[in-house]
Amino acid sequence: MACMNEDGQWIVLMGLLVAVGLFFLALIINQSALVGQTTAEGVLEFPKNDIRDLRSEILDYYSRYERINNHGDLDDVKDDIVRISLERKNAVVHFWNGTPEEITIHYNNGVTVYDETVYHY
Amino acid sequence: MVNDSGQLYTMEGIAAGLVMLLTAYLILSTTSIYTPGDTHIPDMQLEQLGSDVLAMMDTPDTHGATSALETYVNTNNSTDFKTAFLGYCNAKAIGTDTLHMSANVTYRGDDDQIKEHLLVEPDETWTGRESAVRVTRWVQLDKQTSQMRPYGSRPRAVLVEVLLWRA
Repeated sequence: MACMNEDGQWIVLMGLLVAVGLFFLALIINQSALVGQTTAEGVLEFPKNDIRDLRSEILDYYSRYERINNHGDLDDVKDDIVRISLERKNAVVHFWNGTPEEITIHYNNGVTVYDETVYHY
Repeated sequence: MVNDSGQLYTMEGIAAGLVMLLTAYLILSTTSIYTPGDTHIPDMQLEQLGSDVLAMMDTPDTHGATSALETYVNTNNSTDFKTAFLGYCNAKAIGTDTLHMSANVTYRGDDDQIKEHLLVEPDETWTGRESAVRVTRWVQLDKQTSQMRPYGSRPRAVLVEVLLWRA
Protein backbone atom coordinates (compact mmCIF):
# COMPACT_ATOMS: atom_id res chain seq x y z
CA MET A 1 0.00 0.00 0.00
CA ALA A 2 2.78 2.41 0.71
CA CYS A 3 4.09 2.15 -2.84
CA MET A 4 0.76 2.68 -4.59
CA ASN A 5 1.13 4.55 -7.92
CA GLU A 6 -0.80 7.87 -7.80
CA ASP A 7 0.10 9.27 -11.27
CA GLY A 8 -3.41 8.62 -12.60
CA GLN A 9 -4.85 11.29 -10.33
CA TRP A 10 -3.45 14.02 -12.61
CA ILE A 11 -5.11 12.45 -15.64
CA VAL A 12 -8.45 12.31 -13.85
CA LEU A 13 -8.08 15.90 -12.68
CA MET A 14 -7.18 17.17 -16.15
CA GLY A 15 -10.04 15.21 -17.63
CA LEU A 16 -12.37 16.95 -15.22
CA LEU A 17 -10.97 20.35 -16.20
CA VAL A 18 -11.47 19.61 -19.89
CA ALA A 19 -15.02 18.43 -19.23
CA VAL A 20 -15.86 21.62 -17.35
CA GLY A 21 -14.30 23.68 -20.13
CA LEU A 22 -16.35 21.90 -22.79
CA PHE A 23 -19.47 22.46 -20.71
CA PHE A 24 -18.89 26.19 -20.68
CA LEU A 25 -18.21 26.27 -24.42
CA ALA A 26 -21.46 24.40 -25.06
CA LEU A 27 -23.26 26.89 -22.86
CA ILE A 28 -21.94 29.79 -24.93
CA ILE A 29 -23.00 28.15 -28.21
CA ASN A 30 -26.42 27.42 -26.74
CA GLN A 31 -26.84 31.02 -25.64
CA SER A 32 -25.77 32.41 -29.00
CA ALA A 33 -28.76 30.77 -30.68
CA LEU A 34 -31.10 32.24 -28.07
CA VAL A 35 -29.59 35.68 -28.41
CA GLY A 36 -30.07 35.58 -32.18
CA GLN A 37 -33.69 34.55 -31.75
CA THR A 38 -34.63 37.39 -29.43
CA THR A 39 -32.70 39.94 -31.44
CA ALA A 40 -34.41 38.87 -34.65
CA GLU A 41 -37.81 38.99 -33.02
CA GLY A 42 -37.11 42.43 -31.65
CA VAL A 43 -36.07 43.73 -35.04
CA LEU A 44 -38.87 42.04 -36.98
CA GLU A 45 -41.58 43.16 -34.59
CA PHE A 46 -40.51 46.77 -34.63
CA PRO A 47 -42.81 48.44 -37.19
CA LYS A 48 -40.33 50.98 -38.49
CA ASN A 49 -41.69 51.16 -42.01
CA ASP A 50 -45.30 51.12 -40.78
CA ILE A 51 -44.73 54.15 -38.57
CA ARG A 52 -42.80 56.07 -41.22
CA ASP A 53 -45.49 55.32 -43.77
CA LEU A 54 -48.35 56.27 -41.46
CA ARG A 55 -46.56 59.44 -40.46
CA SER A 56 -46.06 60.59 -44.03
CA GLU A 57 -49.68 59.70 -44.81
CA ILE A 58 -51.00 61.80 -41.95
CA LEU A 59 -48.82 64.74 -42.94
CA ASP A 60 -50.11 64.25 -46.48
CA TYR A 61 -53.64 64.28 -45.13
CA TYR A 62 -53.05 67.68 -43.56
CA SER A 63 -51.32 68.94 -46.71
CA ARG A 64 -54.53 68.18 -48.59
CA TYR A 65 -56.65 69.48 -45.73
CA GLU A 66 -58.22 72.34 -47.69
CA ARG A 67 -58.92 70.25 -50.75
CA ILE A 68 -60.54 67.40 -48.82
CA ASN A 69 -62.43 69.86 -46.65
CA ASN A 70 -63.94 71.46 -49.73
CA HIS A 71 -65.63 68.18 -50.52
CA GLY A 72 -66.64 67.71 -46.88
CA ASP A 73 -64.84 64.37 -46.62
CA LEU A 74 -62.36 65.06 -43.81
CA ASP A 75 -63.89 62.58 -41.40
CA ASP A 76 -64.27 59.93 -44.09
CA VAL A 77 -60.58 59.99 -45.01
CA LYS A 78 -59.60 60.02 -41.35
CA ASP A 79 -61.85 57.01 -40.75
CA ASP A 80 -60.20 55.26 -43.71
CA ILE A 81 -56.80 55.57 -42.06
CA VAL A 82 -58.00 54.55 -38.59
CA ARG A 83 -60.10 51.60 -39.73
CA ILE A 84 -57.63 50.16 -42.25
CA SER A 85 -54.79 50.50 -39.71
CA LEU A 86 -56.80 48.45 -37.26
CA GLU A 87 -57.83 45.87 -39.85
CA ARG A 88 -54.57 45.33 -41.74
CA LYS A 89 -51.87 46.49 -39.31
CA ASN A 90 -53.40 45.54 -35.97
CA ALA A 91 -52.63 49.06 -34.85
CA VAL A 92 -54.69 51.56 -32.95
CA VAL A 93 -54.16 54.89 -34.65
CA HIS A 94 -55.46 58.24 -33.52
CA PHE A 95 -54.52 61.66 -34.81
CA TRP A 96 -55.85 65.16 -34.49
CA ASN A 97 -54.74 68.74 -34.86
CA GLY A 98 -54.89 71.48 -32.24
CA THR A 99 -54.02 74.61 -34.12
CA PRO A 100 -54.04 73.89 -37.85
CA GLU A 101 -50.31 73.28 -37.83
CA GLU A 102 -49.96 71.31 -34.59
CA ILE A 103 -50.60 67.65 -35.38
CA THR A 104 -50.60 64.89 -32.79
CA ILE A 105 -50.15 61.28 -33.86
CA HIS A 106 -50.76 58.25 -31.68
CA TYR A 107 -49.86 54.72 -32.77
CA ASN A 108 -50.07 51.50 -30.74
CA ASN A 109 -49.86 47.99 -32.14
CA GLY A 110 -49.64 46.21 -28.78
CA VAL A 111 -45.86 45.92 -28.89
CA THR A 112 -44.73 49.34 -29.98
CA VAL A 113 -46.26 52.64 -28.91
CA TYR A 114 -45.45 55.78 -30.83
CA ASP A 115 -46.59 59.29 -29.95
CA GLU A 116 -45.61 62.44 -31.70
CA THR A 117 -46.65 66.07 -31.87
CA VAL A 118 -45.35 67.69 -35.01
CA TYR A 119 -45.60 71.18 -36.43
CA HIS A 120 -46.37 70.90 -40.10
CA TYR A 121 -46.57 73.81 -42.49
CA MET B 1 30.75 22.64 -21.46
CA VAL B 2 27.20 23.86 -21.81
CA ASN B 3 24.67 21.29 -22.80
CA ASP B 4 22.51 22.78 -25.58
CA SER B 5 20.42 19.76 -26.45
CA GLY B 6 17.33 21.50 -24.98
CA GLN B 7 17.27 23.99 -27.87
CA LEU B 8 15.73 21.43 -30.19
CA TYR B 9 12.96 20.74 -27.71
CA THR B 10 12.26 24.46 -27.43
CA MET B 11 12.01 24.91 -31.19
CA GLU B 12 9.81 21.85 -31.48
CA GLY B 13 7.60 23.27 -28.76
CA ILE B 14 7.22 26.58 -30.58
CA ALA B 15 6.44 24.81 -33.86
CA ALA B 16 3.87 22.63 -32.14
CA GLY B 17 2.32 25.69 -30.52
CA LEU B 18 1.97 27.42 -33.88
CA VAL B 19 0.39 24.34 -35.42
CA MET B 20 -2.10 24.12 -32.57
CA LEU B 21 -2.99 27.80 -32.83
CA LEU B 22 -3.48 27.50 -36.58
CA THR B 23 -5.73 24.48 -36.14
CA ALA B 24 -7.80 26.18 -33.48
CA TYR B 25 -8.15 29.26 -35.69
CA LEU B 26 -9.23 27.21 -38.69
CA ILE B 27 -11.81 25.28 -36.69
CA LEU B 28 -13.26 28.34 -34.97
CA SER B 29 -13.41 30.42 -38.12
CA THR B 30 -15.13 27.79 -40.26
CA THR B 31 -17.79 26.93 -37.70
CA SER B 32 -20.70 29.30 -37.46
CA ILE B 33 -24.21 28.78 -36.24
CA TYR B 34 -26.93 30.03 -38.55
CA THR B 35 -29.32 31.50 -36.04
CA PRO B 36 -32.70 33.14 -36.65
CA GLY B 37 -30.78 36.33 -36.02
CA ASP B 38 -29.10 35.81 -39.38
CA THR B 39 -32.10 34.62 -41.38
CA HIS B 40 -34.04 37.85 -40.93
CA ILE B 41 -31.36 39.98 -42.53
CA PRO B 42 -32.26 39.13 -46.17
CA ASP B 43 -35.95 39.63 -45.30
CA MET B 44 -35.23 43.03 -43.82
CA GLN B 45 -33.23 44.07 -46.86
CA LEU B 46 -36.04 42.99 -49.17
CA GLU B 47 -38.60 44.84 -47.07
CA GLN B 48 -36.55 48.01 -47.05
CA LEU B 49 -36.03 47.77 -50.80
CA GLY B 50 -39.76 47.38 -51.42
CA SER B 51 -40.64 50.23 -49.06
CA ASP B 52 -38.17 52.52 -50.76
CA VAL B 53 -39.49 51.63 -54.20
CA LEU B 54 -43.05 52.41 -53.13
CA ALA B 55 -41.89 55.68 -51.59
CA MET B 56 -40.15 56.60 -54.85
CA MET B 57 -43.25 55.80 -56.88
CA ASP B 58 -45.36 57.87 -54.47
CA THR B 59 -43.19 60.94 -54.97
CA PRO B 60 -44.54 63.35 -57.63
CA ASP B 61 -42.16 64.65 -60.26
CA THR B 62 -43.08 68.26 -59.55
CA HIS B 63 -44.74 70.03 -56.66
CA GLY B 64 -48.50 69.62 -56.75
CA ALA B 65 -48.44 66.93 -59.43
CA THR B 66 -49.98 63.48 -59.01
CA SER B 67 -47.55 60.73 -58.14
CA ALA B 68 -47.15 57.71 -60.40
CA LEU B 69 -48.39 55.36 -57.68
CA GLU B 70 -51.54 57.39 -57.14
CA THR B 71 -52.23 57.38 -60.88
CA TYR B 72 -51.75 53.61 -61.16
CA VAL B 73 -54.07 52.96 -58.23
CA ASN B 74 -56.66 55.44 -59.42
CA THR B 75 -56.80 54.09 -62.96
CA ASN B 76 -56.42 50.47 -61.85
CA ASN B 77 -53.40 50.19 -64.16
CA SER B 78 -51.86 46.91 -63.02
CA THR B 79 -49.54 46.46 -66.01
CA ASP B 80 -47.74 49.76 -65.65
CA PHE B 81 -47.65 49.46 -61.87
CA LYS B 82 -46.01 46.05 -62.10
CA THR B 83 -43.54 47.17 -64.77
CA ALA B 84 -42.51 50.27 -62.84
CA PHE B 85 -42.24 48.49 -59.49
CA LEU B 86 -40.23 45.52 -60.79
CA GLY B 87 -38.10 47.85 -62.89
CA TYR B 88 -36.96 49.70 -59.78
CA CYS B 89 -36.65 46.52 -57.69
CA ASN B 90 -34.67 44.48 -60.18
CA ALA B 91 -32.27 47.23 -61.18
CA LYS B 92 -28.65 46.19 -60.69
CA ALA B 93 -25.34 47.50 -61.91
CA ILE B 94 -24.87 44.34 -64.00
CA GLY B 95 -27.83 42.31 -65.22
CA THR B 96 -31.15 42.25 -63.38
CA ASP B 97 -32.39 40.74 -60.15
CA THR B 98 -35.14 38.10 -60.02
CA LEU B 99 -37.80 39.63 -57.81
CA HIS B 100 -41.49 39.00 -58.35
CA MET B 101 -44.52 40.72 -56.89
CA SER B 102 -48.24 40.78 -56.44
CA ALA B 103 -50.27 43.63 -55.05
CA ASN B 104 -53.65 44.41 -53.67
CA VAL B 105 -55.32 47.51 -52.37
CA THR B 106 -57.21 47.66 -49.10
CA TYR B 107 -59.92 50.30 -48.94
CA ARG B 108 -63.01 51.17 -46.96
CA GLY B 109 -66.04 50.85 -49.14
CA ASP B 110 -69.06 53.11 -49.06
CA ASP B 111 -70.86 50.48 -46.97
CA ASP B 112 -68.19 50.90 -44.23
CA GLN B 113 -66.69 47.46 -44.89
CA ILE B 114 -62.93 46.96 -45.31
CA LYS B 115 -62.44 45.48 -48.76
CA GLU B 116 -59.53 44.27 -50.84
CA HIS B 117 -59.01 44.82 -54.53
CA LEU B 118 -56.49 42.66 -56.40
CA LEU B 119 -54.32 45.10 -58.31
CA VAL B 120 -51.52 42.86 -59.62
CA GLU B 121 -51.98 39.10 -59.89
CA PRO B 122 -49.03 36.93 -58.83
CA ASP B 123 -47.19 35.33 -61.74
CA GLU B 124 -46.44 31.63 -62.24
CA THR B 125 -43.51 31.64 -59.79
CA TRP B 126 -45.89 32.03 -56.87
CA THR B 127 -46.50 28.71 -55.12
CA GLY B 128 -47.45 29.96 -51.67
CA ARG B 129 -44.24 28.61 -50.18
CA GLU B 130 -42.03 31.59 -50.95
CA SER B 131 -40.61 33.51 -48.04
CA ALA B 132 -42.26 36.67 -49.28
CA VAL B 133 -42.23 39.96 -47.46
CA ARG B 134 -45.11 42.42 -47.38
CA VAL B 135 -44.51 46.09 -47.95
CA THR B 136 -47.23 48.69 -47.73
CA ARG B 137 -47.81 52.28 -48.66
CA TRP B 138 -50.68 54.61 -47.87
CA VAL B 139 -52.02 56.43 -50.89
CA GLN B 140 -54.45 59.35 -50.91
CA LEU B 141 -56.89 59.42 -53.76
CA ASP B 142 -58.50 62.70 -54.72
CA LYS B 143 -62.14 63.03 -55.63
CA GLN B 144 -62.78 61.09 -58.80
CA THR B 145 -64.86 62.26 -61.70
CA SER B 146 -63.76 59.81 -64.36
CA GLN B 147 -65.34 56.42 -64.96
CA MET B 148 -62.29 54.40 -63.86
CA ARG B 149 -62.74 54.44 -60.13
CA PRO B 150 -62.67 50.98 -58.58
CA TYR B 151 -62.81 52.41 -55.06
CA GLY B 152 -65.62 54.95 -55.32
CA SER B 153 -65.71 58.64 -56.04
CA ARG B 154 -65.11 60.36 -52.70
CA PRO B 155 -61.56 61.30 -51.62
CA ARG B 156 -60.15 58.38 -49.66
CA ALA B 157 -57.03 56.88 -48.14
CA VAL B 158 -56.20 53.38 -49.35
CA LEU B 159 -53.43 50.99 -48.38
CA VAL B 160 -51.38 49.47 -51.19
CA GLU B 161 -49.92 46.14 -50.08
CA VAL B 162 -47.22 44.50 -52.16
CA LEU B 163 -45.96 40.95 -51.68
CA LEU B 164 -42.36 40.68 -52.80
CA TRP B 165 -40.37 37.49 -53.26
CA ARG B 166 -37.27 36.20 -54.97
CA ALA B 167 -37.64 33.30 -57.38
